[in-house]
Amino acid sequence: MHAFIALSKKEINQMTKEYKIVWLPIVFILLGLTQPIMTYYLPVILQSAGGVEGIMIDPNMAKPEGGEVLASTLNSQFDQLGIIILAVATMSIIQGEKANGMMAFILTRPVSISSYLNSKIIIHYIMAVICIALGYVVSYGYSAYLFTTVPMTQAMWAFVFYCVWLLFVITFVAMMSTFFTSPAFIALISIVVLLICRFTAGLHTILDVINPASNSLSATNILMTGEVGTWYGINVVVTLLLVLLMIMTMQSFIAKKKF
Amino acid sequence: MRLEIKNITKKFKHKTAVNGFSMVIDANECVGLIGPNGAGKSTLIQIIADILYADEGEVLLDGQKNSSMKHQIGYLPQYPNFFSWMTAFETLSFMGTLSGIAKTELQKEIPLLLEKVGLGKEAHIHVRTFSGGMKQRLGIAQALLHKPALMIMDEPVSALDPIGRREVLNLLKEIKKETTILLSTHILSDAEEICERFVVIKNGHKIEDATKLELIKHHQESAIFLMIRKEDLKWLTMIEHLPYVKKIESYGDGFKVFVDHLEGDANRLLQHGLDSKVLFTKFEVGIQDNLEEIFLELVV
Repeated sequence: MHAFIALSKKEINQMTKEYKIVWLPIVFILLGLTQPIMTYYLPVILQSAGGVEGIMIDPNMAKPEGGEVLASTLNSQFDQLGIIILAVATMSIIQGEKANGMMAFILTRPVSISSYLNSKIIIHYIMAVICIALGYVVSYGYSAYLFTTVPMTQAMWAFVFYCVWLLFVITFVAMMSTFFTSPAFIALISIVVLLICRFTAGLHTILDVINPASNSLSATNILMTGEVGTWYGINVVVTLLLVLLMIMTMQSFIAKKKF
Repeated sequence: MRLEIKNITKKFKHKTAVNGFSMVIDANECVGLIGPNGAGKSTLIQIIADILYADEGEVLLDGQKNSSMKHQIGYLPQYPNFFSWMTAFETLSFMGTLSGIAKTELQKEIPLLLEKVGLGKEAHIHVRTFSGGMKQRLGIAQALLHKPALMIMDEPVSALDPIGRREVLNLLKEIKKETTILLSTHILSDAEEICERFVVIKNGHKIEDATKLELIKHHQESAIFLMIRKEDLKWLTMIEHLPYVKKIESYGDGFKVFVDHLEGDANRLLQHGLDSKVLFTKFEVGIQDNLEEIFLELVV
């Protein structure tokens, strides 16, 4: 346990020294801001910047609900640019220490591989949750201000489901970081796989059950309709099992010293 | 702590780095692992430190597997690397906490230890600004921090200046009494100073395992070294034809005379010289190679 705490503290210190603790939240706050503001001002911007001819803006176009705006913050900001940024920010969590020999060095101490891995995944997950939460709160505020207010409980539940998906995202990037040695490749493969997961979510009922990105879909559903959708319980369980499986894979990979 | 290495084999893709290597190091013994570059020293050391996985064989510490005895092992890598954003003090504090040392003890021990390895003034300076030698000192400090019963060191003094080398060797002499030490090196004079026993490794095989005395005795040449005045040089052509003289070689300022039976033949040769009125300025029975030469002889 002492090793886990020491390693976690080290992760936090490192994030502070690398200013990740500053720029990552700022990026997500900006991402959270973008969706409500763009949705609100897009007609105005188009009208003033796009010239008069050729563009028709329907003045009777229905103003979207706050829930819809918040939902699109999740699925078109956080699930696209957000994932890319998270993948880049976490790509070297294990690869970096693997490359400079620090991981092997740390493991010559009486430190279990699981406390090494868990400290990294948990701290980076908490960091990601905080960033997403900040962006989400800002987005919530602007949606309420510019559009309509989303019920608090709906917003909370949507966030909880989104965090399940987020856990998968961070663990997956960490796993890639354990397996591969090139940071660029780690980022690329993580982004590709995670975006494929996200885009295939909702296409097929059976596939959705095992697709971790369906949790993100559940979050959007709650915001848009107030309903979670079917199979959400199984989906959460399956995602958590996948996360567990990935952690076990990483552990045996490191234990066999294949790095 | 007793270290047993049993039949270790480690293969990499194209090369067998360590091949069926076995040895036993008794408690508080100091062993120098010597061998040319690429002989498998580092691989073997990393297997003992449980960084690499041996394909075959096992490493036992007091009868237990090395992976379960990590709190008793102090390991110094060849190129110690640290988190560049930590200070020397923070690095030791971090490594110490991982070994389960209490915070109060660390606060007390670390300044003393840093002083000992000659980093007393640099305690609160970031590791990123450290030179190679300073990193090496810090590496030695972290290996000593938890007072291990077994120290494994990969080239501990190669990167240090003469002063640092002296300091570290003295430090090792100090801990030697209660610590089993295994160090790899190619600088033999350093190893000679602290180790009693040497294991020579080449191409992953153990080719020699002996104490310093045995090693020197083993490689003693059956030859007599003598120096004579210029006027007496013609005597050499005379003894060349003696039945017990095998060969004469010029060596340094004198000559090496190779014989069959060192002691008896030395007497006969000396007598022969005296009879021929030769004045010996030097007469040495049995030429001892120094370790460096023995090493070269073994591995080349």
